[in-house]
Amino acid sequence: MKKGRIFEIREFTLHDGPGVRTTVFFKGCPLRCAWCHNPEGQSFEKETMTRKDGETVQCGQDWDAAVLAEDLLKNADIMRQSGGGVTFSGGEPLSQAEFLLQIIPILKSRGVHLAVETSGYADVETYRSVIAEMDFVYQDLKLLDEVEFRRWTGGDLKIVLDNISWLRKSGVPFVFRVPLIPGVNDSESSGGKFRAFAGKDMIEYLPYNNAAGVKYRMLGREYALKEVVS
Amino acid sequence: MTDRIKSLLERTFDKEHRTFRRDVDWKPLLDRFIDEGIGDMERARIGLQEMLKAETPAFMDGERIAFLRTVKQIPDLHSDKEMDDRRAQGIAFGEKGVVFNITADFESAIRDGLGTRLDEMRARLIRCREESDAEGLEFLENAILSTEAVLGLVERYRAEAERRGFSDIAATLVKVPFKGATTFHEALQSLRILHFAMWCEGEYHCGLGRIDQYLYPYYDADIRAGRLTEESALEEMEEFFIACNRDSDLYIGVQLGDNGQSVMLGGVTPDGKDAFNDLSRLCIKACGELKLVDPKINLRVNKTTPLEIYKLGTELTAKGLGFPQYANDDVVIPALERWGYAQEDARNYTVAACWEFIVPGCAMDIDNIDAVSFVGALDAALRNAAGRTVSFDDVEREFFDEIQRRADAIVEKYRNVEILPGPFVSVISANCIENARDISKGAKYNNFGVHGTGIAVAVDSLASVRHLVFEKRLVTLLELVELLDTDFAGRPDMLAAAKDAPKMGNADPKADEIAKRLLDFWGQAFDGKKNGRSGIFRPGTGSAMYYIWHAREVKASADGRLSGQPLSANYAPSLDVPVKGPVSVVRSFTEPDLVPVCNGGPLTIEIHDSAFAMPDGVEKVAHLVKFFIERGGHQLQINTINRETLMDAQAHPERHRHLIVRVWGWSGYFIELEKTYQDQIIKRVELGVSG
Repeated sequence: MKKGRIFEIREFTLHDGPGVRTTVFFKGCPLRCAWCHNPEGQSFEKETMTRKDGETVQCGQDWDAAVLAEDLLKNADIMRQSGGGVTFSGGEPLSQAEFLLQIIPILKSRGVHLAVETSGYADVETYRSVIAEMDFVYQDLKLLDEVEFRRWTGGDLKIVLDNISWLRKSGVPFVFRVPLIPGVNDSESSGGKFRAFAGKDMIEYLPYNNAAGVKYRMLGREYALKEVVS
Repeated sequence: MTDRIKSLLERTFDKEHRTFRRDVDWKPLLDRFIDEGIGDMERARIGLQEMLKAETPAFMDGERIAFLRTVKQIPDLHSDKEMDDRRAQGIAFGEKGVVFNITADFESAIRDGLGTRLDEMRARLIRCREESDAEGLEFLENAILSTEAVLGLVERYRAEAERRGFSDIAATLVKVPFKGATTFHEALQSLRILHFAMWCEGEYHCGLGRIDQYLYPYYDADIRAGRLTEESALEEMEEFFIACNRDSDLYIGVQLGDNGQSVMLGGVTPDGKDAFNDLSRLCIKACGELKLVDPKINLRVNKTTPLEIYKLGTELTAKGLGFPQYANDDVVIPALERWGYAQEDARNYTVAACWEFIVPGCAMDIDNIDAVSFVGALDAALRNAAGRTVSFDDVEREFFDEIQRRADAIVEKYRNVEILPGPFVSVISANCIENARDISKGAKYNNFGVHGTGIAVAVDSLASVRHLVFEKRLVTLLELVELLDTDFAGRPDMLAAAKDAPKMGNADPKADEIAKRLLDFWGQAFDGKKNGRSGIFRPGTGSAMYYIWHAREVKASADGRLSGQPLSANYAPSLDVPVKGPVSVVRSFTEPDLVPVCNGGPLTIEIHDSAFAMPDGVEKVAHLVKFFIERGGHQLQINTINRETLMDAQAHPERHRHLIVRVWGWSGYFIELEKTYQDQIIKRVELGVSG
């Protein structure tokens, strides 16, 4: 059985879907968004973060699906009572689809509402197999220009767009999430493009926060966007 | 909010009411008391008479509910030396010695009027004469004079109101509080005067109790008669609430704001039916509009309370007021009944100044007589056990034995507790006139509450002892005690291991089972003990200010808390513990059976105010509260972390290690952020913007 590599499990996340939820942050992402606010979620390897006071935090723990499900289900009572559940985030959860497909049926069988936050950067089969099981999807929309997308994330926009066109037909409820990054995609014209792209679909904009850079220092890395945003 | 209320609110913020104030030097009065050897009862009466005589009727423009403190100081009735002498003679006092931390029987006093009480007292006086009951005579004579003094000031207010053309106020004061109130407005005016007079008599932490219950008949009758609309009732209530914020800086308390003006909403009726009514709703609405610190709202709920009511409460929480504080009828009522309170009294409970559960009107409990430091007890126990060959169970037994010794010492210490008389508060309390005895001589209930402080730190420390000494065998008990003495100096590995041990608040059975056993033990530590006022001792989970004092009494603790670091207040996770989140905190803290330790003391949870920027934030937090209640929690307070907390976290990061700030899609520890980032978030909080 494939283990899942997780860098954080956070209770009572208020921004990740309906009801009282726990969000599971998957370690590892195929993209390298310059503004990434969870840099410890990029590498698939385990890492150590050093806090200002010198204490270290280990990032990345390997879980058996059954064990993680049991841990999450400790809160199944309040999740059910509040219409909440579990949200998979990251990193890119779809990069660990094999593990996801193990844990999803366990959680579903116990009536837990499931959501995922994804960049959509996954091959078609993977994307479809996971998304079809979801009760709700937060689908990132970062940039709509192929060149710009490659410049800022290192990825191929077409992969994302193909998955989005399937998502729109899938019937799975979703919302587009647009992180507004100063100097990257926050101009008025791109704002209008996002709106136009979304059409009748729901879209939410996430304001950029300067604090995003702090975790890079804890990882001993440079924050690429530092110059752009300060 | 009407323009009139808006104006009153603004002028209260601007402290216009303070311009009416003056200083009075009461030293000559105290000297007279001492020189003439005047007794306690007479001093209380004369003090009130003189205080009220010194008051000048004052009105703020536009107000309809009169009474404003104009004399800053309340007379001291006893010198420090007199009190010390009594203590030296073996008499113990609860805090300052006067009647405090109770709620009077406002219900009957407002309904019947003080005139009725005077009639009753005069009739009772005759019986006392016939029975040659000197003590009864002394009480009643002074109580009558005290009541007349209150009515004397009312009459001066009435005359002045008439003179200045405030005919509404004058007309109301003709009637109340001498006669029973017949309208909502009269009831509020009467309550204002009665409450005002208690403070003038020297009582403090005077709670207002279940205003949505005892004011409801007037509200309901007015609404039915068309004399009142929901809007005009809201305006009345708001005016009354604003009035609670005027004299409050003159009230005696440990610090500003600690004035005990608590209100209890909701709960059940005497026959056990749901008591949350339109007036409860109105009170919540008034508080939400005014956003003032007083009165402090408490809300009684139970497992059948609908989510909608939790949402109403949470909307107040979202405003960052720090209330409502929730109390669980399913736990508190059985707890009070178990301690011998009659069912109808238990069902009528409210809170004292902070969170101690009391019965209004008929109890003279001293619900904060003292505290046992669990952290201190564990420290002593570890030192006792160190060097001997012991098992973990031995250590735990040693700990519990030490708690028992400390509990027994408290029983001894308070065998002879006296309370200084309060003839006026007795007049507006049940049974005092009939018994011809001041409330200080005893009421229907005369129990003492004892806090248990540092619960989480003690539990975490014991869990750490088991982890370090008995499971991992990293150190011996003796070595551990040395580490505590040296603040883990030179042993960062052991400090890290101590911090790594199970902690209460993470839904970890290894810590939670210790908490269960600790509170089970604490719950029976006073079984069979009487307090000398024919009452019992009620153990609780509160800390009041003791958590500061008790932290100073011990060095480091085995959980990795270093010397000088504080204990968590009341019933909350240790400050230095990273917890999974509020759901696990609720789970841990509702594992123990809280009925036997129900003196009061809330679980406190902090929620960042960005939570409430989301449209469904209120509902989610409401679910969390409901979850706490359904799991058998007794009392819960939710704080919305605001700018001040963040500023404090900047200055004292060590106190706020698990303060989490939530930004779009990720969360981080506030203290980990660079100052510029912190400033940015503080600014964001100021702007009320969140992602």
